[in-house]
Amino acid sequence: MLDNPFTKVLQEGIARRRFLRGTGCGAAGLAAAFAGSAIAAPRTKAKARPAGLTDADIFNFALNFEYLGAEYYLGALGTSLPGNLTGGGGPVTTPGTGPVPFQNTAIAYFAQQLAVDEYAHVTVIQEALTAEGATPISEPAIDLDASWTSLAVAAGLIADGETFNPYASETDFLLGAYVLEDVCVTALCGAAALISSKINLAYAASILGVEGYQVGMIRQRLSAIGAGAATDAISALRSALSNAIVDSGVDDYGTDANGNPYNFTNVDFNGQAFRRTPQQVLNIAYGGPGPNATSGGFFPNGVNGTITTT
Amino acid sequence: MTETIASAGTADSKRWLGRLGAGALAFGAMSAMGGKRARAQAITDADVLNFALNLEYLEAEYYLRAVTGAGLSTSLTGGSTGNVLAPATTLVPFQTSAIAYWAQRIANDELAHVNFLRVGLKAEGGTPVAEPQIDLVNSFTTLAVAAGLITTGQTFNPFASELDFLIGAYIFEDVGVSAYAGAAALLTNPDNIAYSASVLAVEAEHAGLIRSYLAEIGGGAVTNAISALRQSLSGVQDNGTDLSAGGGNPFSFANCDYNGQAFRRTPEEVLNIVYGASGTGVSAGLFFPAGVNGAVTST
Repeated sequence: MLDNPFTKVLQEGIARRRFLRGTGCGAAGLAAAFAGSAIAAPRTKAKARPAGLTDADIFNFALNFEYLGAEYYLGALGTSLPGNLTGGGGPVTTPGTGPVPFQNTAIAYFAQQLAVDEYAHVTVIQEALTAEGATPISEPAIDLDASWTSLAVAAGLIADGETFNPYASETDFLLGAYVLEDVCVTALCGAAALISSKINLAYAASILGVEGYQVGMIRQRLSAIGAGAATDAISALRSALSNAIVDSGVDDYGTDANGNPYNFTNVDFNGQAFRRTPQQVLNIAYGGPGPNATSGGFFPNGVNGTITTT
Repeated sequence: MTETIASAGTADSKRWLGRLGAGALAFGAMSAMGGKRARAQAITDADVLNFALNLEYLEAEYYLRAVTGAGLSTSLTGGSTGNVLAPATTLVPFQTSAIAYWAQRIANDELAHVNFLRVGLKAEGGTPVAEPQIDLVNSFTTLAVAAGLITTGQTFNPFASELDFLIGAYIFEDVGVSAYAGAAALLTNPDNIAYSASVLAVEAEHAGLIRSYLAEIGGGAVTNAISALRQSLSGVQDNGTDLSAGGGNPFSFANCDYNGQAFRRTPEEVLNIVYGASGTGVSAGLFFPAGVNGAVTST
């Protein structure tokens, strides 16, 4: 199914993952509204956990984004999630241009690891939900074609009428990854304090760790090749979209920011990665429709689960 | 080049110090899951945070010295002075602009974490531990010999070049990630959990940068040797950046298992690494010749 010189590593990686066993083998979560406390930085403030939100709700919200990430990275390698992992959901729309024409061996292998890890996250979260007696959501419809162009126009990376295809080159691929990964980190950071089960929290922390590794690699590469202006533009867009929903001081810094032209961590002045609420995350993923929206952008029919509205 | 970096680093540190002060808490190191060593009594958030503060002191002293030539000011060490054994010259002779700025970014983040933890502990009614004795000389050579990077009688000085500096950073950052990942489930205050998550993310971003860069420039064997040593000392799996021998990825930038999970370590397992000794009952060594301060001090 794969036509790519690095597929062996991908297949090995997927084959080697072991199913979590036993009860309570939880996993990640994006969750709502935890943005600080009395001792936090001035612009952050505490927000109560939404009533009735369960770990399963949070995991299923996160699962939408793991589907998105997995499809994006697998698509870069010319493949997609197998049907037994999507719950009959989808469809996934791609540019149809085939795998990314990687020129740099290291970047090609980095892409392999991104795909393997996100694939694993899909399965881990599904297993965690099943182990807890909950039902994993099926994959929502995902747009990996027109969504990119809309986002690139909004960020000012291209002009109206032009097209942005993140699979066109390895640099475009990294920019697409940049769009997604910082969002995942902020979402998981925002979720941590809302997860009830300590076991689930431990797994969520380990998933967050991997998302952080991914961001570090992507920002390293993009800053090294002089993509500061593009990353700054994307970050500015993300910040604006987040704060259009809840202005809780969720900033977002590109790689030429904070007085550092190689700014590879996305942090506040306390050395803290930013945290976002699900609503803030959705407004980015939906392409900035504003409050009370239920679809758009990467998710033309909205995400699945109980948390679906900006 | 060196002068530019030195002055930039110093200025940036001052700028940061001026803007800090609204800190809060975060982090620690403990795994709630299946620790091999039973804990006699519950550990408090303050215990966890103070354990973490020891590690942040270590990291801050390393990175600040590399980019500014000087370590933490006494206002941030709890009054400790002269506690850090370091080479006479620590300003790294950076040759590559990107690496110099990356180093500055890490130094600023770690400096912020020290301040953040100290402010947060006080805000919660606790007392931040003072900086323990830190060895940045013998520790690195001992560790490099143990990892097989150099032979007995040779010296490893991580401040000697930008590549040596990155190898020193590699030693620290993955340990920080595993410590924070292990800590999450042990904290009880939701504020602390949230802040801990945000610090974990930053440590992982540091590790992702260092691993991807070292992998690209052919650092696979070196990182594999260091990871193997960390795994041997702590008993917790640890992957270098070249996993090709096992059919895996030769450019592995994330240190995780096949479930896409970053590894977690208990405080005791973290101490096994920073003390340079496996097993139980060890209370000092390697980077901390007099042990760490606080409630959790022994492996």
